[in-house]
Amino acid sequence: MKSLVRALLISLVLLVVSIGLSLAVGSVKIPLATTLQGLFNPGQTQVDPIVLSIVWDLRLPRTILLLLVGAALAGSGCAYQGLFRNPLADPYLIGAASGAGLGAVLAITVRWPASTLGYLTIPAAGFLGAILTVAAVFSIARVGKSSPITTLILAGVAVSSFATALTSLLLINASGELRRALVWLVGGSTMSGWQPVWGALPYILIGLGSLLTMGHALNVLQFGDDQARQLGLRVNIVRLWIIVAATLTTAAAVAFTGIIGFVGLIIPHVMRTLAGGDYRRLLPLSIMGGAIFLLLADILARTLLAPQELPVGILTALAGAPFFLFILRKSKQPFW
Amino acid sequence: MLSIQHLSIVFGSTRILQSITFQARPGKILGIIGPNGAGKTTLLRAISGLIPIDKGELSYANHSLLKMPAEARARLIASVPQATALPPAFSVRDVVMLGRTPYMNWMGQPSMRDNEIVNTAMRQTHTEKLADRRLDELSAGEQQRILLARALAQSTPVLLMDEPTSHLDLRYQIELLDLTRNLVQQEKKTALLVLHDLNLASRYADGILLLNMGKLAAFGLPQDVLRAEILSEVYQIPIQINHHHKKPHIFPK
Amino acid sequence: MKNIFLPLLLAILVLLVGCQTPSAPAIIPAAQMSITLTDDLGRIISLDQSARRIVSLSPPLTEILFALGASSQVVGRDTFSDYPQEVTSLPDVGGSFGKYSEETILSLQPDLILAGEINTPELVTSLENLGLTVYYLKNPINLEGMFFALQTVGVLSGKETAADQLVGSLQARAESLQSKLANISTRPTVFYELDASDPAKPYTPGKSTFYTSLIHLAGGENFGASLDADWAQISLEQLLMADPQFILLGDSVWGVTPQSVAERAGWQSLTAIREERVLPFDDNLLVRFGPRWLDGLEALARILHPEAFQ
Repeated sequence: MKSLVRALLISLVLLVVSIGLSLAVGSVKIPLATTLQGLFNPGQTQVDPIVLSIVWDLRLPRTILLLLVGAALAGSGCAYQGLFRNPLADPYLIGAASGAGLGAVLAITVRWPASTLGYLTIPAAGFLGAILTVAAVFSIARVGKSSPITTLILAGVAVSSFATALTSLLLINASGELRRALVWLVGGSTMSGWQPVWGALPYILIGLGSLLTMGHALNVLQFGDDQARQLGLRVNIVRLWIIVAATLTTAAAVAFTGIIGFVGLIIPHVMRTLAGGDYRRLLPLSIMGGAIFLLLADILARTLLAPQELPVGILTALAGAPFFLFILRKSKQPFW
Repeated sequence: MLSIQHLSIVFGSTRILQSITFQARPGKILGIIGPNGAGKTTLLRAISGLIPIDKGELSYANHSLLKMPAEARARLIASVPQATALPPAFSVRDVVMLGRTPYMNWMGQPSMRDNEIVNTAMRQTHTEKLADRRLDELSAGEQQRILLARALAQSTPVLLMDEPTSHLDLRYQIELLDLTRNLVQQEKKTALLVLHDLNLASRYADGILLLNMGKLAAFGLPQDVLRAEILSEVYQIPIQINHHHKKPHIFPK
Repeated sequence: MKNIFLPLLLAILVLLVGCQTPSAPAIIPAAQMSITLTDDLGRIISLDQSARRIVSLSPPLTEILFALGASSQVVGRDTFSDYPQEVTSLPDVGGSFGKYSEETILSLQPDLILAGEINTPELVTSLENLGLTVYYLKNPINLEGMFFALQTVGVLSGKETAADQLVGSLQARAESLQSKLANISTRPTVFYELDASDPAKPYTPGKSTFYTSLIHLAGGENFGASLDADWAQISLEQLLMADPQFILLGDSVWGVTPQSVAERAGWQSLTAIREERVLPFDDNLLVRFGPRWLDGLEALARILHPEAFQ
């Protein structure tokens, strides 16, 4: 485990650097010294209240939200890949994303004219949509007391397509709300401030915490359900626990930042090439790696074309794909 | 002693196993043979708790296995599956350590005792030198021995093996079965081996269970079960038997 | 004495405004200098005085601010605001992909942010949470609504007089147009094309859009006036059945020409194509509400009833 501690320390340093960058950088140029003053010594009368507001009301909550979401997506992606023993598994495979999208778009199109009081309505609807969709997939795939993996994946694909089709239908008929729905779907923080952070934090912490206890179980599961049972693992309970934790985490993330792809797929893979296939190492490293990656992607999203802001989801895809290919070519061994 | 009484297994409307009764003793290998579809694999899966049984009783040392929780059962029965479709990225030592799962906590942190047992298992199977290698770097024979080491690390009185040699070439078949026999005798394990090759069964088994179409066709010593008239009937092909070092050699006529 | 004079003057002005627009129940003029209005999200907005540092997040609202002569009070605008030309030299606060730079908005220290239907309620909430004042206006769908928007922006920016004058002159133009069209004998049907990327299923404005009311005022009838959706998609068959007298290409701003329309499969049998009544139309005159609606209205009327302008 020594190598794990060392790897975690390195990732912690990278994370702190990323957090620092995220706080220092934005459409408005604030000298680093001023930012640091604003953070650690806000009582100082020298600090411009505008700077204080930018740092405390905009940059800090956004940084925290994005690192939570990055950690959530990568952590649950790692868990899903282990659970399904499939390199294409990601948090969206069994319907979390399409369900969240359907819930959110439903809330948007049905609630027009929307009042600004119900700011939590759309995230709550997205969250509910994700949970219900995954529950539906799970019950469809149920065979007796267990849900075989291939059936889960197939049911997930089918239900996701259905949810996406319904969402498209709603979008077609939602001329007034189209823009609002698309803004949500394209990903990135739709709400600034601390409210999304308080909304997402409990679920992501609980979900990731639960997943971190499942490292050994995921290792055992790599040998198949039969061998896992024969080694004494209660496969059905473990599977349920992992799916609930991962889905809760993903749903909270998607509810507040829309659908950001690639993080859950790529980061666990990258970690696998660097750290091997032991889930007791992969899970914590993926969580750290996801947080760092999404923070860096968001920094780029905010600054490349300032004051325009690119949707983070587009950046993660653009950055993630070639990065992944690079890793693939560098690694000499098949890492699955 | 492992005791199976009137075991029946139904799948949908098909009766896979019908009223199977036999015992297996420690320090002895029970070879399970029979034509394809006879129910050999199903029998082993039922004993290791993977499928529910319809009727009958399974017990070890007079403790019923039927309602036993997975972890307790895993301390009693270890299975050695065929070495196919294994995850490539695990190290050999990590794989063998997984055999200690029924004894470790949720974190999978091995204690000193776990480490000792894993070392012993690897020594017994001559796999210490492979400890840091990845699974996908090994030959089929080596992988099969690793799985045997894992089962040994599980420290169980009962050992189940389902056709462990079918994809190995002759040298590794003999190597594995020699090893298995020695360990079974040394550790006084109760071993059930499903074997496809009748001659290997003849060579290594202390007792033979012959299944045919879900029913028990014969149960007893090799010389009593491996007889031309019994085998020809079950395998539906004329069989002749020669004897070599007092062990029957089976050929089609 | 000075202390009573100014508030009194303001009260009189505000009352005058109130009298001139009987169809404006939402403006609650106060007798003091401060302004209290209810915006189109139902929120009550109060300003101590008319706004001096306005950030506009909606192109038509930017246009209106400049039309009222409040350009020196505008400190920032969204990326899509581009009319009149001077607007582009103002600081850009974002807006593509629906994302605005709240940092930039904050740093401009606005005392009022004008938001329109292009902005989401989430954005409004976010800006409010930063302690900023946001006034939301829904897009008007007829001339009266547009005049009301003009006057609302006028009150907020302290340009009520300019707003009243502008509304007056626009009303005069509208009335002059109505009198020119008083004796028309027919109301030609107009198919206003918003998009025909798929020529078998073009998009046209529906019944509750400003297109319908403006085309009607111009002496025509919007083909889409029977359709419920605002951005309605129809099939070519429906178009052939209706056989409108005029086809106006709102999508000519994206490069669609009458020739390209004539070449579309299945469109040849339309009367408007055979009689060459397929015309490009500058959608910019209509798609952003504001004073240019009158330009658009007059342009429409000239196309539909050239005889009324002899």
